[in-house]
Amino acid sequence: MSTAAPPQKAPPPRQRTGGRLSNGAFALLLTAPGLALFAAIIFYPLLSALFTGFFKQDLRLPGREFVGLDNFTYWLDGDFLTILKQTLVFTVGATLVPFVLGLALALALNTGLKGSGFLRGLFLFPWVIPGVVVSFLWMWIFNANYGVLNGVLMKAGIIEESVAWLGQPGTAMLAVIVTKTWASFPWMMVMLLAGLQTVPKELHEAASMDGAGSVRRFFNVTWPQIRGVASIVLLLEFIWNFQHFDTIYVLTGGGPAGTTETFATAVYQTAFKGFDIGRATALGGLWMLLLLLLVVVYLRITERKGDA
Amino acid sequence: MTSTTSTPLSAVDRPRSSATRAGGSTRRRMRKDLLRSRIAAWSAVVVIGAFGLLPVYWLLATALSTPESTFQFPPKLIPTDLTLDNFTALADNDQLIKYMVNSLIVASITAVLSVVVATYMGYSFSKFRYRGRRSLMHLVLASQMFPQALLLVTLYTVFSSFGMLNTYTALVLSFTTFTMPLCVWMLKGIFDTIPDALLEAASIDGASRWRTLHSIVAPLAAPGMVAAGLFAFVRGWNDFIFALTLADKEKQTLPPGLVSTYIGEFQTSWPQLMAASLVVSIPVVVAFMFLQRYLVGGMTAGSVKS
Repeated sequence: MSTAAPPQKAPPPRQRTGGRLSNGAFALLLTAPGLALFAAIIFYPLLSALFTGFFKQDLRLPGREFVGLDNFTYWLDGDFLTILKQTLVFTVGATLVPFVLGLALALALNTGLKGSGFLRGLFLFPWVIPGVVVSFLWMWIFNANYGVLNGVLMKAGIIEESVAWLGQPGTAMLAVIVTKTWASFPWMMVMLLAGLQTVPKELHEAASMDGAGSVRRFFNVTWPQIRGVASIVLLLEFIWNFQHFDTIYVLTGGGPAGTTETFATAVYQTAFKGFDIGRATALGGLWMLLLLLLVVVYLRITERKGDA
Repeated sequence: MTSTTSTPLSAVDRPRSSATRAGGSTRRRMRKDLLRSRIAAWSAVVVIGAFGLLPVYWLLATALSTPESTFQFPPKLIPTDLTLDNFTALADNDQLIKYMVNSLIVASITAVLSVVVATYMGYSFSKFRYRGRRSLMHLVLASQMFPQALLLVTLYTVFSSFGMLNTYTALVLSFTTFTMPLCVWMLKGIFDTIPDALLEAASIDGASRWRTLHSIVAPLAAPGMVAAGLFAFVRGWNDFIFALTLADKEKQTLPPGLVSTYIGEFQTSWPQLMAASLVVSIPVVVAFMFLQRYLVGGMTAGSVKS
């Protein structure tokens, strides 16, 4: 009887793969551990952060008290615009300057210099070493009393007496941007070089035969080909810098006089020095909102590039 | 965006004068063009290279100097009294050794966890088509961009309420927040390069989907998995903010450990700090020498090449 029942035979392709689950269910099962982790350590904490912004809560004490929009108005009536401005100055500076350096170096190495492979590896060093080491090194270079920068500039007669680069409002942000630039231009270089290497040499030769100079060749041949890489590199670096913490925290801690305070350092200091998580997460919420806009733009651009 | 490119451009273009166009054959003009672009290229390499490498020289020079010569102004650009004392002093510092062991443990576990979890997820994204797949992929990609400082505030309260502060678990889990998205995208890229025909052949031979993944796909993807693991290791090794906040002296890793050891209230021991910095950098530099091949692919995974 049972042998005669045809519907008992499952459709061949499914049986061949040997599982009882459909392919879709199997695929979802594969993502389950990852999703569980994501939910526990990223999405739950972030949602709870957005929620905490409406409470008065001390980091050291249990319990919280609903205070409505108080924490948000504290920032919006206070330092929000200053912090936003400083974050933008840092972000734009630490994105554009390394981009320009990285592009110049990538163009140079792409001309087929001798030993360009070796040079590429060598120039990667600043990007490879840990961020904290980068900060230590530049802290030492910028040191007001014994720093090599002051030593060299004084010998060259450019400055007359030592400058406290990190200790005074006028130069601290500049110093932080220089440090971050040093750490990230190699990454820009590698990415742009990878983009440049996809540009067919014949295009350049043809343009050159037609009498196009190097400027025109760059804009009409090279740039359109690497525009995709360039825009993604710029946007990614912008997003990362917008939330960058290490360099600023180690070099200046947001000082002097709050002139290098960014969202990252302000949220950190408010939570872990001021113990006020309500206010910290409220500022964090505003920050997230701005960041979300950037991420949406990023996803749009990657989406447009086809399969994501 | 266009304006930012003008600097490198004009650097390449500057030597060219309009006179060349008037006389001479195309070939001569092109040869001159080539020479000029060579000169421009070398100037860019020298100038930007100096910016990139002089600080590295200074790191080395300071690490090899005596403390006395460090506190000299103006500093001697070429140190004369070279010493290895700063390095030997590190070996005698038990607390630093402890930080280093912590770093090794936490970064290794992070790497293994990230790769295992990301392998399944990346495989699912790469070889199956199902509803919600793209949204999940975007979620993973976007989660890489959430602000760490904010995440840290709530992770701290979560770990604190579970009594998990100052544990390796807390450090591993918090490191995973930024290593996992990266690994998922890297591994998806690697699985994409494995032809579907191979999987079909395996299923025709009667291999189950699990078996196909574990005995056929995983060995093929092994080099990529190692690369992803190294990336995760390096990111964990380099982390500063999570380890600084979620762990105390007992469980802290090297980067925040160096800050608490050397950045003193009064005078920092710069030669020793530079020597320690070099030692911290060694595993990372070695890892990257192995990773050179994967570097561009890994960094661009999911963003540029997709």
